[in-house]
Amino acid sequence: MEIIKAISIGALFGIGLYQLLRRNVIRSAIGLSIISNAINLYLLSVGAYDGVVEAYAKAVGQRSDALPQALILTAIVISLGGFAFVLALLYVIAARYRTGDSDEVKGLSH
Amino acid sequence: MTSSSLVILPIIIPLTAAAVAVLLRNHRRAQAAWAFGAMVASFICSSVLLWVVTSSGAPVVFQVGGWPAPAGISLVGDRLSALMAVMCQLVLVGGFLYALGCRDQCAQYPAFYPLFLMLAVGLTGAMLTGDLFNLFVFAELLVFAGAALTAMSDDKFGTEAAYKYFYISFVASIALLLASGSLYVSYGTLNIADLARRIAADPSPPLALPAMALLMIFFMVKGAVMPFHFWQPDFHTAAPTPVHAVLSSVVVKLGIYGFLRMTTLLFVEQAEIIRAVLVVVGAVGVWFGGLGAVGTYDAKRMLAYSTLGQLGFILVAIGWGTPLALAAAIVYAFNHSLLKAAMLMLAGSVASHAPVKTAAFAAITGLGKKLPWAGVLFLLGGMGLAGIPPLNGFIGKLMLFRSGVEAQAYLPLAAIGLAGIVTLVYVIRAFQRIWWAPLPEGVKPKPYGDRLIAPALLIALSLGLGIWAEPLVSLAEATVAWMSRPELYVRAVLGG
Repeated sequence: MEIIKAISIGALFGIGLYQLLRRNVIRSAIGLSIISNAINLYLLSVGAYDGVVEAYAKAVGQRSDALPQALILTAIVISLGGFAFVLALLYVIAARYRTGDSDEVKGLSH
Repeated sequence: MTSSSLVILPIIIPLTAAAVAVLLRNHRRAQAAWAFGAMVASFICSSVLLWVVTSSGAPVVFQVGGWPAPAGISLVGDRLSALMAVMCQLVLVGGFLYALGCRDQCAQYPAFYPLFLMLAVGLTGAMLTGDLFNLFVFAELLVFAGAALTAMSDDKFGTEAAYKYFYISFVASIALLLASGSLYVSYGTLNIADLARRIAADPSPPLALPAMALLMIFFMVKGAVMPFHFWQPDFHTAAPTPVHAVLSSVVVKLGIYGFLRMTTLLFVEQAEIIRAVLVVVGAVGVWFGGLGAVGTYDAKRMLAYSTLGQLGFILVAIGWGTPLALAAAIVYAFNHSLLKAAMLMLAGSVASHAPVKTAAFAAITGLGKKLPWAGVLFLLGGMGLAGIPPLNGFIGKLMLFRSGVEAQAYLPLAAIGLAGIVTLVYVIRAFQRIWWAPLPEGVKPKPYGDRLIAPALLIALSLGLGIWAEPLVSLAEATVAWMSRPELYVRAVLGG
């Protein structure tokens, strides 16, 4: 279980980071949302320490730590709001420049 | 109502006021007056908080919901955070005052004042919180409000700037979340006081040092420190003037506050590593910001670059880390907030007189002939930034250089001392372009522009603090004396 979790967090992080650095602004917004999911998984896995098990482990008689789950809930809500906000910004940018290539969006460069 | 709820008032007043301001959206004047009143009330509360903390010598701790410290969220107003909160809210009051008399289109939008109040909530909350995850929430609030305010700016590139800022802030949030996850799995707590105690007791967990590095990245992005600075001039220049004045002066101080906390509370044993980094990035930032400011073609952009340089001075002082240097950092941060906000408001006010609203030097050359008082204020503020008496900028620089001599750090001292001259160069250059150069033929400045009350008040305050600097300096020294004993902070929050 540990190894699957570690690999999936790493893979999500890698995919997210790759997308985040793409030139297409829509893809980078999607990368943003993938990375926030990787972080959520990471936070879920830090709940297992010092004799406490993960929330998804089926160990009988052992309790899991509730705090990381509360953190994830907050982080999910915030990243949802952030993703919506980024999409709204992208809508305006795409309407003005008629392109999704971040090299073309350079009104601020002097 | 006990004295411990004082610490939540500067957060909760703007928060509720923002909700009410949304309800007042159809009554623009009432909304503006309401928002300004709420900000002033909040500032009074934070000043009372500072007064209580200073007079009693003990921090004011509020456990939210009545849950005791390591389990619940604590809000801590100690000497440092109360002083920082007062500094932020003072400049925020100035920003609101400027927004009242400002002719920007965006200040008329119904969402402007609620968002501005949320910016105040995020900034004050991030300074006063005693919990790492709570810091993330408040920092996100700050980012959302700041980005939304910039996206609605009169500047046509506002959305682009907001996108840039939001993107880089997201990277900072990733760093903070990873840091809090790593610290949680290592120590089983997110309360800053509890963390400080446990890190001091056992710095061995493998994720402790990576968490420190990630926290440094977070505060470096927030403070626009050298390798993570690239978004700052673009973003700040595109923001509406009242917001820009707040962003470039106090919002970046969140990074300064974070480094002060990290070196004196969270990672006391490992502080030498952080300090070594800060001296280098600070000294490089001083030169980079100064030279960048000399090379710009826009008054507001010049001042945004200048913020990079001025923050470099503060970072070098934190990097030296002696009591005198830390006191100098606090005094310098306070002075820079007042002066930079005032200078930006003056630049914005001049730009509002331009036929086409922009702060580019090409468009505002010679406009100052009609605005002699703005010229006087700008010259005073520029002298303050460059560190010439009688303004308070002189006091900060004097303390900074004295602490450098005392710490025998001659190389960084020489580097930042020489860079001080660059400040004078770009300020005088801007002054000459705007107030000395003749008005070009055929340019008709607008007769009305933004009001000058807010910058005049801020400059008057910094003049007062320059002539009678004793209260601020002794306050900073008392703060440093308090910061040098982190065990008192831990005991005050956790009890026992």
